[in-house]
Amino acid sequence: MSVLSIVVWIIAYPLIIFCIGVLLGGYERKFSARVERRIGPSWIQPFYDVIKLMSKKTNVSHGYMHDVAILMLLGGTMLTLYFVPVPGFSYFSQFGDFLVISYLLLIPSLGMALGVGETANPNGSIGISRALQMLAGYEVPFILTFIGVAMKEQTTSMLDIIRVQQAGGFWAWGLIAHPLLGVAALIALQGMLNEKPFEVIVAPHEIATGPMTEMGGKYLGIMFIQHLIAVPLELTLYINLFLGGASNWLEYLVKLFVLWTALISVNMVFGRFRVDSAVKFMWKISLPLAALGVIGIMLNIA
Amino acid sequence: MAKELTQKAAWDRVLAKLKKNSLWMLHYCTGCGAIELPPTMTARYDMERFGIMPMVTPRQADILLITGYLSVKTLKRVILVYEQMQAPKYVVGFGSCTINGGMYWDSYSTIKSLDQYLPVEMYLAGCMPRPEAIIKGFSWLIDRVGKGEANSWRDYYENYEFYRKNQEELFGGPIQSYQDIPADAQKFGILEARQ
Repeated sequence: MSVLSIVVWIIAYPLIIFCIGVLLGGYERKFSARVERRIGPSWIQPFYDVIKLMSKKTNVSHGYMHDVAILMLLGGTMLTLYFVPVPGFSYFSQFGDFLVISYLLLIPSLGMALGVGETANPNGSIGISRALQMLAGYEVPFILTFIGVAMKEQTTSMLDIIRVQQAGGFWAWGLIAHPLLGVAALIALQGMLNEKPFEVIVAPHEIATGPMTEMGGKYLGIMFIQHLIAVPLELTLYINLFLGGASNWLEYLVKLFVLWTALISVNMVFGRFRVDSAVKFMWKISLPLAALGVIGIMLNIA
Repeated sequence: MAKELTQKAAWDRVLAKLKKNSLWMLHYCTGCGAIELPPTMTARYDMERFGIMPMVTPRQADILLITGYLSVKTLKRVILVYEQMQAPKYVVGFGSCTINGGMYWDSYSTIKSLDQYLPVEMYLAGCMPRPEAIIKGFSWLIDRVGKGEANSWRDYYENYEFYRKNQEELFGGPIQSYQDIPADAQKFGILEARQ
């Protein structure tokens, strides 16, 4: 890639992902409205919400850490984004493999913990403690599934994993070739995206949206932008590891929306777990599945 | 004389057109009337198609919906909640009791007119207003936000002494506030933005 095209991609990539995130968010709200036999909001409703929040006249800050940590939240997500390959842009992926991504994925959670700690709201603190507990729940199976995939393909580079899957066609897709790992990662992904039944962090009826309790105006706007970027980012991670990546943008978008539809359909029919049940579910169902998958790969049977 | 369209004014006009599609509502339902809200939000009347969504904390909300009567004690809490909200913010008085006391017109413990204590953007008259009336009222509010005319929230910053005096007369002494309204008006440049 030429220097110019890399610079253009660096600027355009978060914007493109943000636009996709807006469409995914609007699609989720429209989908849930149709399930409940409502008409639902506009397809780009998250865009209006972000514009409204960013144009608020007063933005009450709770201190220095509140201001800095909220930028850490957004910055960490955007930094992770550059290492995740999408069709047409995989320049930075050759410098950082999955291990880098798994480290960077922790930065937003830490940023959120620091910023919400400064607001000193009890609901916020409960939300953060739940977020870190859930992190311990889904991160272990997710890393373990990746260890399995890396052992199978003998590489930690995401580009190589995509290449192997695309060379082998449909039957080489991670979800087909090693289904135990694929299913375990799918369950972990549901927790990572904070969808029901693992929606314990933002539980509006219990803890008043948890970490977002004291956030208003631009602070909440930045959290919304972060969420709209994080959703396609985490879905892309799964697509690259288990659904054969994508060779062009059309294929990428189709896979993104199909995977998202599956996840929000589960979201629609479930209630919310208690936080201990959610972590227990991850460790009792997702973790053994991932461990069995890894053992299968070690014994060369799956 | 035609008003000169500066760059800032044009930008504000575009923003207002976008902002009207998203209004988040915090409902304060200690009086009656909350029973009319579930049908307004769910499948029958579906408020979300206008971008109006219930929100759970004052920091996130744009609309403070006050249903029914307010006793003197609850008004104190409403004021604290209102001051925590981020401007632009709109108070909507729901039901006759917020307008003139309604059926509690001679009660010693309820307030009679909400706009003496908080700047009210819109009243929804009725006892109770039906979901159709609520939808109609909110469409009117959305239109006003879209035209940039919904400016009642500025009144609280500009005439803060008036509202504070009324509140303290009612409570019989100074009330503890967690938000310094005059300092906020200074800090975020709300007072000079009008000219």
